[in-house]
Amino acid sequence: MYYFSYAYPIFLGLTAIAYFITPMKKRWGVLLAASLSFYLYYARFLTVFLLFTSLTIYLCAIWIDKIDACAALAKEYIPREKRAEYKNKFLWQKKAVVTLLVLLNFGVLAVLKYSGVASDSMNAFLQLFHVQAHFHPLPMLLPLGISFYTLQAVSYVVDVYRGKIKANRNFAQVLLFVCFFAQIVEGPIGRYDHLAPQLYEGHRFNWQNFTYGMQLILWGLFKEIVIADRANMLVSRVMDHYTKYSGAAVGLATLLYTLQLYADFSGCIDVAAGSAQILGIHLTPNFQRPFFSRSVNEFWRRWHITLGAWLRDYVFYPVSLSKPLVQFSRFIRRKNSSHLGKWITAGSALLFVWVGMGIWHGAGWKYLAYGMYYYLLMMLGMLFEPAIAKACKAIHLNREAVPFHLFQILRTFVLVNIGMLLFRANSLQSAVSMFFSIFRGTGASAITNGSLLRLGLDAKDFAVLAFSVLILLAVGLMQEKGVSLRRTVGEWPLPARWAVYFAGIFAVIIFGAYGTGYAPAALIYAGF
Amino acid sequence: MDKLLEILRGVNPDVDFTKEKDLFGSHILDSLSLVMLIPDLEETFDIEITPADLLPENFESAETIYAMITRLQENG
Repeated sequence: MYYFSYAYPIFLGLTAIAYFITPMKKRWGVLLAASLSFYLYYARFLTVFLLFTSLTIYLCAIWIDKIDACAALAKEYIPREKRAEYKNKFLWQKKAVVTLLVLLNFGVLAVLKYSGVASDSMNAFLQLFHVQAHFHPLPMLLPLGISFYTLQAVSYVVDVYRGKIKANRNFAQVLLFVCFFAQIVEGPIGRYDHLAPQLYEGHRFNWQNFTYGMQLILWGLFKEIVIADRANMLVSRVMDHYTKYSGAAVGLATLLYTLQLYADFSGCIDVAAGSAQILGIHLTPNFQRPFFSRSVNEFWRRWHITLGAWLRDYVFYPVSLSKPLVQFSRFIRRKNSSHLGKWITAGSALLFVWVGMGIWHGAGWKYLAYGMYYYLLMMLGMLFEPAIAKACKAIHLNREAVPFHLFQILRTFVLVNIGMLLFRANSLQSAVSMFFSIFRGTGASAITNGSLLRLGLDAKDFAVLAFSVLILLAVGLMQEKGVSLRRTVGEWPLPARWAVYFAGIFAVIIFGAYGTGYAPAALIYAGF
Repeated sequence: MDKLLEILRGVNPDVDFTKEKDLFGSHILDSLSLVMLIPDLEETFDIEITPADLLPENFESAETIYAMITRLQENG
């Protein structure tokens, strides 16, 4: 269970002690040893895939650097009239290296992750024509964190290609950038210019970093063990046997799955970020109170931020600025310079982003449908935005008033829940079936007749969940107002401060969903 | 600079782009409006903008956008 195993605190403690007693310049070596041990323990022989990725990005980055050095030299010695020709030649060489790197790494990811679905789809297709051939899927091999570290690794080479950073000539350091233990399981997806210098530079022990890190770990444990693992009991009971349930049961399971996924993913990220902060390393934030979003666009700016930023920088921008799309954009805008022209060109580039977002999450048509669901919502939102703005103006509706903001937040929450249902369902068909089953069967009567208490959670569990949601909401509201809770609590007098810490520790111990009667749930995003 | 301000006003006519210093932070520009802006900038100033140029610091204000355009024209 990675960060939520009993062994993890011992591992983190030993790593921190070894890190701070090692001479400053060699501290990154401790991080590398700890990260490799962590990875080897969980991934075993699948570590070869991580080594393959690290080695390919290490070599390709140096290759690009050498091409850049040749280009700089050529600029000095080649006559001015031939410079453009050589510049293009070097640019094409660099593009070829990046293409090779992307094909190699995404190729490995595609084979490991999607071969099962590809062979199933191919077999189903062949059956339509009564062809007897049968494709056997490859054995299920999914190295820990491959979807996360592949994106991080590719971004390193692309950044070298773009001239944003220089290639690192030390393979061990590149390996550490790819496999740092605090982010290998579920991200956040780091960028070389932000993360790597922090990893390689030794950090002194800092009491504030230590206490803030511990607070974040405790907060992550609370989210994971008290909320996510508890919500999972009802969610898996209903959604894994969805044909037996309808009405309020499915509606409640959907709401609780949204809560579970948020608590699970953000809780894991909190533990990862807290662990790194103890060592003086600050990871990129991955969540920013997503359920306060007023639109699905905003939701995706606040939820899994590092994946959205990766897709923006390495898919959306290159696709938008590619020659065919720029020419298409000019053509459309010459024909129709209005809002519709912009909508069509933006929609063309966004399609790649949302297909990428969908299939990154997993193999299966439901993930593609998940990406397309958000794509459609965004495209419809953009298309009707001018008309909605005009209509609001006509009826004198103040879109900046609090009631309208609350309506927008609620609307976004409902739309996100529908997306979560699609995300959690075992297949696209079961998602559709579950969605329509919400409007059948028992409604409000399920609350009074006690049937909701027979779904895996008792009244005490519901009370703990309800109270936990109130705590999440209160903390979120304070953070939205710019209050730094960790700093505020850190400045309180010693007794008050420790009262809060003990309350947190005991909340996790007493109300944690573990032990007899509970089954720990696997980390959802670690499965990607 | 006047040409640039005219293009920017096309993105949002309600903003005074001579005064605004944090176009990204204040959500006047986002990734979508940015890529809508690029074909106009490329055509008007005869430059080629690559993804490597799409850094928030290049698009903080009209001045930083103009500085990027000047740099790309010089390097072009």
